[in-house]
Amino acid sequence: MNLEERIMEIVSENTEKEQTLDLTNSLSELGVDSLDILMVINAIEDEFNITIDDGDFKDIKTIGDILNILRKKYF
Amino acid sequence: MEFYQRLQLDKSIIQDFNPYYCQIESGLDDPIIINGKRFINLASNNYLGLANDSRVKEAIIKSVEKYGASLCGTPIATGYIDLFKRVEEKITQFIGLEDAIILPSGYQANNGLFNAIVGKEDMMIIDHFAHSSLLQGIKIVGCKIRPFLHNNLEHLKNILEKSAGFRQIFVVTESVFSTEGSIAPFKEIVDLCEQYGALPVIDDSHGIGVIGKNGRGILEEKNINNYQGLYTASLGKALANAGGVIAGKKIIIDYLRYSCSHLIYSTAIVPGILAGIEKVLDIINSDFQIISHQMWRYYKAIREVLINAGFNLVSSNAPINSIIAGSSKDTILLSKKFYEHNILTTPFIAPSVPQNAGKVRLIAGANLKEETINVVLKVIKEIA
Repeated sequence: MNLEERIMEIVSENTEKEQTLDLTNSLSELGVDSLDILMVINAIEDEFNITIDDGDFKDIKTIGDILNILRKKYF
Repeated sequence: MEFYQRLQLDKSIIQDFNPYYCQIESGLDDPIIINGKRFINLASNNYLGLANDSRVKEAIIKSVEKYGASLCGTPIATGYIDLFKRVEEKITQFIGLEDAIILPSGYQANNGLFNAIVGKEDMMIIDHFAHSSLLQGIKIVGCKIRPFLHNNLEHLKNILEKSAGFRQIFVVTESVFSTEGSIAPFKEIVDLCEQYGALPVIDDSHGIGVIGKNGRGILEEKNINNYQGLYTASLGKALANAGGVIAGKKIIIDYLRYSCSHLIYSTAIVPGILAGIEKVLDIINSDFQIISHQMWRYYKAIREVLINAGFNLVSSNAPINSIIAGSSKDTILLSKKFYEHNILTTPFIAPSVPQNAGKVRLIAGANLKEETINVVLKVIKEIA
């Protein structure tokens, strides 16, 4: 499983969204709130054994934004 | 102007029927008056039905005659009257902790607490369904925040196990989750905190005056003795007044008296409210068994009829009936159906609840008359 698929799976598991997700999905339209995003960050930290600065994710709008920040700063 | 356009509210969902900012033209009587019409109130947090109790009103009037409308000062300045101190002592004793302070609202209590005691080096682990006031208070601090799945001890334990290197870890939750009526497994949470050196923080806003053998809230309900954590609660729900309390060990409450800016820089809660709280505490201490019996009886009667009528309810351990209504549109529609039968309810839509997890909440106060409850039961059958 590549990074994109793993992130998608983490988002799906931690936000309890049953529909098929893609990178362009708007988080607010999916009903993902700020605590959901923190759950996702928490799970990413566990999965990749990294420490994330929550502030990096404060302006994210889509699942793709999560991936971009991770690639730019953490991988 | 772009600034105003950006802030323009989307009112499409409440265009047909707006259940918010409903103008009530009476006190919380049975019935209440809206637009000159008689309504049954299932929307207030007036669990024990004491908001319009004659004994409470009398105590408030007496205090206004003695102290006037306001002391026009913050508690640290001229706002701290003998009645203020007495109510602090009474509420401390009622909850069963060492000391307490009273702020102008429950929201300020939650916000003010975290602002005063938490720093960036700390970590907050918070229940996913916790109230906005708790989360907002924590967010301002800018510390690491980790939500745990609602009431899920396994997940909480998992996070605690992995959390190291922080100055202090706090575990924050509510006693009764008000949109659904679930109760936190707080004894187990306190035990986990002890095991991992974390400090528990409980918001007992919907528990105080409601749960526990004598209505003393979550610590009594769960038989938690010698509680080492922090406690907050709104005094505007079962306690039928206004304000918020922060309680805990004397050392921390003393610290907050001089460092909690939400207390120090807010005009002190007014004498009338203090007297109201004092009287409600007296009434709970003497009459809780009778009043709460009525509250639970009404809750059970409504729940049974809702279930039989086919409504999908959230599983609840508190006297809160919460109907799962789905989308925001469906939630507002269901609330409207009740409204058309002169029953006021509380619809919760996103962002108060997750998207498409709208709920319509019914709380029947103990002050409602038997015949009023019978009307409610009849209406539920009709609109099902």
